[in-house]
Amino acid sequence: MTFSERMKNPVAAAALIAGLVFVGPAQAVEELNALVWCDHTDPKLIEPFEKQFGVKVNLKEYEGTGNALAIVEQSKPGDWDVFVIDGVDVPRVADAGLLAEISRDQIPMGDIFPQVRMEDVTVRGGKMYAVMEKFGYNVIAYNKTKVDPADMRDLAVLWSDKYKGRIAVYDYYIPVMDLVALKMGMKPSDIAAGKLPAMKAELFKLKENSSMVGEVVASTTALATGEADILVGGGEWAVSVMQAENPDLDWVLPDQGGILWSQSLAIFSASKKKGLALEFVKYVMSPEGQARLATSSCFWGMPANRRAGEVLTAAEKASLRWDEQDKFLAKSHRYFVPDSELDGKMLDVWTEFLQH
Amino acid sequence: MRFLRAAPAIAYAGLIYGFIFLPVAVLVLFSFQGSRVPIPPFDGPSLEWYRAVFADSRMMAALGNSVVVALLSSAVSVILGFLAAWGLARHDLRYSRLLHGFLMAPLTVSTLIVAMGLLITFNAIGIPKSLLAVGIGHVVINLPLCFAILYSQMGAHQANIERAARDLGAAEWQVLALVTVPMLWPALLAGFFLSVTFSWDEFIIAFMVTRFDATLPVEIWSMLRTGLNPRTNAVGSFVFLVSVAGVILLDLILFGRKRN
Amino acid sequence: MTPAAPGPGRGDARGWGLLAPALLWTVAFFAMPLGVMGVYSLWRRVGMTVVTDFGLANYVDFFAKSFFVESLINSLEVTVVVTVVSVLLAYPLAWILAERVPPRWQRLALILAILPFWTSYVVRSYSWLLVLSEGGILSGWLQALGVVDGPVSFANNRGATVIGFVHFFVMLLTLTIYANLVQLPANYRKAAADLGAGPVRAFIHVILPLTLPGIMVGAFLTFVLCIGDYITPQILGGGRELLLPQAIVMQISRRSDFPMASAMAMILMAVVSLVYVGFARWLKLERV
Repeated sequence: MTFSERMKNPVAAAALIAGLVFVGPAQAVEELNALVWCDHTDPKLIEPFEKQFGVKVNLKEYEGTGNALAIVEQSKPGDWDVFVIDGVDVPRVADAGLLAEISRDQIPMGDIFPQVRMEDVTVRGGKMYAVMEKFGYNVIAYNKTKVDPADMRDLAVLWSDKYKGRIAVYDYYIPVMDLVALKMGMKPSDIAAGKLPAMKAELFKLKENSSMVGEVVASTTALATGEADILVGGGEWAVSVMQAENPDLDWVLPDQGGILWSQSLAIFSASKKKGLALEFVKYVMSPEGQARLATSSCFWGMPANRRAGEVLTAAEKASLRWDEQDKFLAKSHRYFVPDSELDGKMLDVWTEFLQH
Repeated sequence: MRFLRAAPAIAYAGLIYGFIFLPVAVLVLFSFQGSRVPIPPFDGPSLEWYRAVFADSRMMAALGNSVVVALLSSAVSVILGFLAAWGLARHDLRYSRLLHGFLMAPLTVSTLIVAMGLLITFNAIGIPKSLLAVGIGHVVINLPLCFAILYSQMGAHQANIERAARDLGAAEWQVLALVTVPMLWPALLAGFFLSVTFSWDEFIIAFMVTRFDATLPVEIWSMLRTGLNPRTNAVGSFVFLVSVAGVILLDLILFGRKRN
Repeated sequence: MTPAAPGPGRGDARGWGLLAPALLWTVAFFAMPLGVMGVYSLWRRVGMTVVTDFGLANYVDFFAKSFFVESLINSLEVTVVVTVVSVLLAYPLAWILAERVPPRWQRLALILAILPFWTSYVVRSYSWLLVLSEGGILSGWLQALGVVDGPVSFANNRGATVIGFVHFFVMLLTLTIYANLVQLPANYRKAAADLGAGPVRAFIHVILPLTLPGIMVGAFLTFVLCIGDYITPQILGGGRELLLPQAIVMQISRRSDFPMASAMAMILMAVVSLVYVGFARWLKLERV
């Protein structure tokens, strides 16, 4: 059969075209699929690992555990190998059977800051399902030339008219609602369905005072470019990364306390590349990997491994406030973890806040 | 006197053209910005951001993905659209009006809804998120266009020529290959290029049904999250240049012939 | 436009065969997914799973929760404003192109008018951010004119969203209205003038009614594309309010609530269908 004859048949022609789509480029190297926060997409962090193991790391970034679980749900088992997830969310994800055990002797557990080892959440039934890799604070970031730094120590000032229109809010309902709880004199763990109407009223007032609500990069940029002078939910993650561009940025734990964010590394139980995934976890937990992660281009944060301190420069450590961590940790609360029903209600309140 | 009468028209047109071109001009100008923020004052010209874009392997992979999806999905759209138009125009089928309306229906539904439908369906039956899924979606939205363009060109005049060829003993495939296709090639090309531009530019389907193999608009979107950035200007200007070149090429193909 | 009489007359089987691939594609990847969404919209997401009991709970929820209804109202407000403003801006330009520009320059002028159409969809909204944001071009001009003292921002609000939309649709509408105007025989206008009608009356009584179908097709297209658009409000709106497409995407990306998202998509389709019925006397899509 000649080509022209073959093309005469529409079905054959279509099959031919479809075949071209299916063939695609040959799989050259082994690939590792990781679901991560945007700080892991920095080539400075990923490329050394890719070179060392001759593999390709595919990264999909997300913000907020709910979003990550939505992505996992819209995938097939085995699609994902590595999961960078908020420490406090490890229990529910591990209990859902999504995570594989990580052997303790593979990880330099002794080098991790004791306060952020968080084994109460990473260990379930004696098995460890995640390793803490990075932490920091969702508090108040600000431009010290535009606002009075003394004001920033009291959350209540954000609800007054003093900085109306100069405030940006980080678009992640959990830490910001936790901060609202602190402002109301509650602990984040006190949040309950009955408290939501009062919290909603506080959020609405905050919205009236703010000029924008944005995710990590948008809110960071707003602060750096002067679109806003205060970032609610900001911290070292939003400030340090921009300090080269705008040295006037600073952050503070208010007197009411701070909210501790924590990221951990986990491996999916359905992963077909658990060996390589473990190597990736080990690489990120090494002092070099930790230093690169701490100062990644999307956002900075404290490395969990204290030996990263040997690699980071003095300036980087100063920017991260390396020496003040004990004090900060003592004043901070972890993210509140609602059950799924309360989570839905909180998200509804947050949507109303966005809509207000 | 004539000038006075024309003045308001010129002023109005100038204003609207200014409005239309303002963002594009700013986009292109500040793609040559020297510093890291693409707002005044302009401190270029510098090609640094173009260099950065072409050195970005993710961006280049996305560019490749976009080209592949645009070419293949457009080819499928044109072929399916051509066959359907040929079938409907040359055969007195029952329900032909209904069929015509059905084939055009995807145009009346928001792309967002088409994208969601595909996401949910693919998810339910286990088709993985991939470039193939994007291509399938792009055929859905481009098929009606190709069909409409080709159908409008299959009038009585063309049918008579085909009939003449048949009367002279041409086999059906010869009529198709030697008469119909050559006669319709401007329409085929128009359908193809229009599909290519739509696919090349399509965001929401590609956003929803891909995992890593992002197309260019999706990659630009994730880059946008870094706020104002001359790299986005550079890649945007580049895409604009490519599209304009395509439009001019198409214009020359379709209209240049007539003038000669 | 009229299809020819049946050609080879070798029966309908061949015609159906030619139609089959396109029909199957449209059924499999367009009609069926819509059906699947219709079914999903009647199910419900509870916790991490989808409960497959049929019911109207999602629809009830939509109208019971103020932020959902508000997102629909926001979308309608934005879309109506955008459609009206775009038509009002585009019509005179199309008129000037068709009537005032010498014929040999018309094609060039028209291509110029729609050239920025071809900047990438995503980049188009971004480029307005460059113009409107704090310290951007507009802010600089106003400062130079002494209208404002310091940098001002026009981005991150509904006005920015509307500007981004209007920019796009002015181009689209200029094209559709121009196409309609040039099809008008010039002597219609002349005849109207000969009968003693002034230019304004000639326009209102002759030209406008004749170009109304073109306007309506363009306006309907604008409405459909605008109300379903996610990108423009997402980039230019600054998260100050949600439009319906943003609320829909949020259901999918933040909690994977496909049933609720499907119900919202059905509501969006219903709105578009209602508008279609309103426009129907001017639209004949099956004759495109």
